Amino acid sequence: MNNKFSRFLKTVPMKLWVILVAVVFFSFFSNDFGLVDIQKSAIILAAGIDKGEEGYRLTTQIAVPKGTDRTTGGTSSVEITGKGETVSDCVVDIYALTGWVPKFVFCNLLLIGEDTAKEADCMHVLDFFFRNEYMPDSCFVAVSQGSAEEMLASQSAVDDTSSLAITRLFSNASEKSGRVMKNTLREFVISYYGPSESGFMPFVCSFEQESGTGTESSGGGQGGQNSNGGGSQKKEKVYCVRRTALFKNGRMASILNEEQTFACNLVKGKVFSGSFVVDDNGKPVSITVLDNDGGVKFETKTTPKATLTVKLTVRLLNRSTPSSVDDVSLNVVTPELLQKAEDTIRTRLEEVFALLRETGCDLFQLNRSLYRASKAKYEEWKDTLLATVPAEFDIKIKSTK
Amino acid sequence: MNKISSRQLYFFLAAVAPVGKLILLPVTLAHYAANDLLFPAAINFFLQAGVIALVLLLAKNGLSLGELLQKTFGKIGAKIILTIFFAFFFYAALCPLIEQKLFVQSIFYDTLPSVVTFSSFFIFSAYLCAKPLSSYGRIWDILAPVAFVGFVGIIALAAGNMDFGALNPVGAAGIEKITQGAAFTNYWFFDSAILLTLLGKIEYKRGMAWKGPLFYLLGAAAVMLFLAVFYGIFSEIAVRQQFAFAKIGKYSPAVGILGRIDYLFVFALSLVMAFYSALPLQAGIDCLRQAYGSPAGKLLPALASVAVNIIMLVLTVFFDYRFAEVRRFVGEMLFWVFPIFTLLLPALSPLLKLRVRKREVKTS
Repeated sequence: MNNKFSRFLKTVPMKLWVILVAVVFFSFFSNDFGLVDIQKSAIILAAGIDKGEEGYRLTTQIAVPKGTDRTTGGTSSVEITGKGETVSDCVVDIYALTGWVPKFVFCNLLLIGEDTAKEADCMHVLDFFFRNEYMPDSCFVAVSQGSAEEMLASQSAVDDTSSLAITRLFSNASEKSGRVMKNTLREFVISYYGPSESGFMPFVCSFEQESGTGTESSGGGQGGQNSNGGGSQKKEKVYCVRRTALFKNGRMASILNEEQTFACNLVKGKVFSGSFVVDDNGKPVSITVLDNDGGVKFETKTTPKATLTVKLTVRLLNRSTPSSVDDVSLNVVTPELLQKAEDTIRTRLEEVFALLRETGCDLFQLNRSLYRASKAKYEEWKDTLLATVPAEFDIKIKSTK
Repeated sequence: MNKISSRQLYFFLAAVAPVGKLILLPVTLAHYAANDLLFPAAINFFLQAGVIALVLLLAKNGLSLGELLQKTFGKIGAKIILTIFFAFFFYAALCPLIEQKLFVQSIFYDTLPSVVTFSSFFIFSAYLCAKPLSSYGRIWDILAPVAFVGFVGIIALAAGNMDFGALNPVGAAGIEKITQGAAFTNYWFFDSAILLTLLGKIEYKRGMAWKGPLFYLLGAAAVMLFLAVFYGIFSEIAVRQQFAFAKIGKYSPAVGILGRIDYLFVFALSLVMAFYSALPLQAGIDCLRQAYGSPAGKLLPALASVAVNIIMLVLTVFFDYRFAEVRRFVGEMLFWVFPIFTLLLPALSPLLKLRVRKREVKTS
């Protein structure tokens, strides 16, 4: 008996050890056991910020559980707007209005109103989100045509929730099509605080869907505290993010059009299966990109020189005129058409570069390249670099054979 | 008494010790040296590696730190020095423990959890500290593969988003900032002092004096890679990215599809950190055991462990919202304290061996 007891005593420390490790694991790594009281929390899917004379207006799109009468997929949402002197003041206002604790951990889109972005350095808007440890800095940032509040309150034609319809346009597939230059909070802030002090965001606009015809509008809805659940009066909308807002020192300086946005994406070298139209003796021809290599080469040895490179392998995708069956089967782009395609892209990039010089927006991060190459030269040239640097465009396009 | 084998020691130096440097060291280095953050880290790692080589030379004769001190300075002298070392380890444990607490609160919890949540760590630590330091050998056997998997997983997820160009221009911070960075972050580098308390508990193998530092530098290389990836991802905003290792993996496209799978690796590294954070306290209590306890006595370490952990719990709660001040005090104002115990004294430790030999020659 004594023997048994002493053997038991010997194993006590080990048992105690196992129990303690288990206790630590449960409490230490429990993450509150993943419990979120949905009745007390507002799961924010997107936030829109506008600044007026009275202060900030923060519109949050909050996910709400669906009623049983809804049979379609997707996420229902409600938009709540808070007002305040700072963005965090608006968050407090939302809490006071609803009794829900706003949770930004699932927030995937930050929309800034157009006027707010143009008016001043928009870091005063993003500051709250950048500081907030519970805000994912991988969330998308975008500028809304018109006010962000109206854009978020608009009724999407393709989803129950407008922000989900918008963020779907920032998918990897969309990015590969070359039609959108998406950006995240982290990347925007890095470029803002970096040597270039420049950045970009997609410019979101909406179109009403009326019997198949579309007219551009700057959002819809009533604004303020409202729900899109019962908005039967609202016109349904689709969204477009093909244009890109350019920023210098945090202020929106200009907008790239769709073609210019596509050309910039070609320089980034990320396009796959994206297509563009080339004029072939008055007839439009669509060419698809099968392989894209691009980049910005920056020389600093003597005087600075920037070379924008675009290398493409393309295939003929679609003609707007009837073609011979041989042409359809081969899909080869003729040398004349390739030349026209090169000229088209060169022209777009020249337009982009001229716009960048005009606005001072260092979209291609030339100042950063210079800083990384030589701090001394950066100090010498940083104020005049973008305005004076000679730019060359090395465009090479070949067709599949 | 079980001794720590050479394998277990190498596991500690290469895989466990580096993990303690992943929470707030990266952001602190970025604060002082910006894109040159690798240089201050390298200075500290090389200094530590050199001192570790000297300490491991001392391990050859199999005497513990207490025995060496006793033979050199007599019983009272040894007790005084060991008590001072205990005080140092208590001081050294403060920052890593508050760091660990803040990390757990910030990363694993959606809202600020109650004090009780982290206090369970001290129950665990109290038990661990009551055990002899040599029991860590088996723990390192288990922790090393866990740390390896965690580290590789995090780096693999982060690899696609880094831009090594962000580390340029090299030397932009200047020598003053780099030196400042090395001096003010030295409180993360106390591994040589830990090894000092392990003397007499290590099973010495031939070549350990050069293999040990080599394994330590292997771990250092992993930390340097981590720092490069960290700065490559956050560049200009690295200075505000606390708890770096829990953040760098989340930008992977895989996370977008599968959810926060990086947490698997974060949990693995956190587990290793929990043991590493308790190590200075245990080393301190081992100093007390060597100074005042009989070799077989368990009461003193048990009581000391409970007392020390209760005090530490109170301190971590008290300093919860004053951590910036604590860091300024420990890291900047009293930055010279750590080099005394982690560089100077361990580097001088081989002299103990010489004095012991001289005494032995005299008595024979």
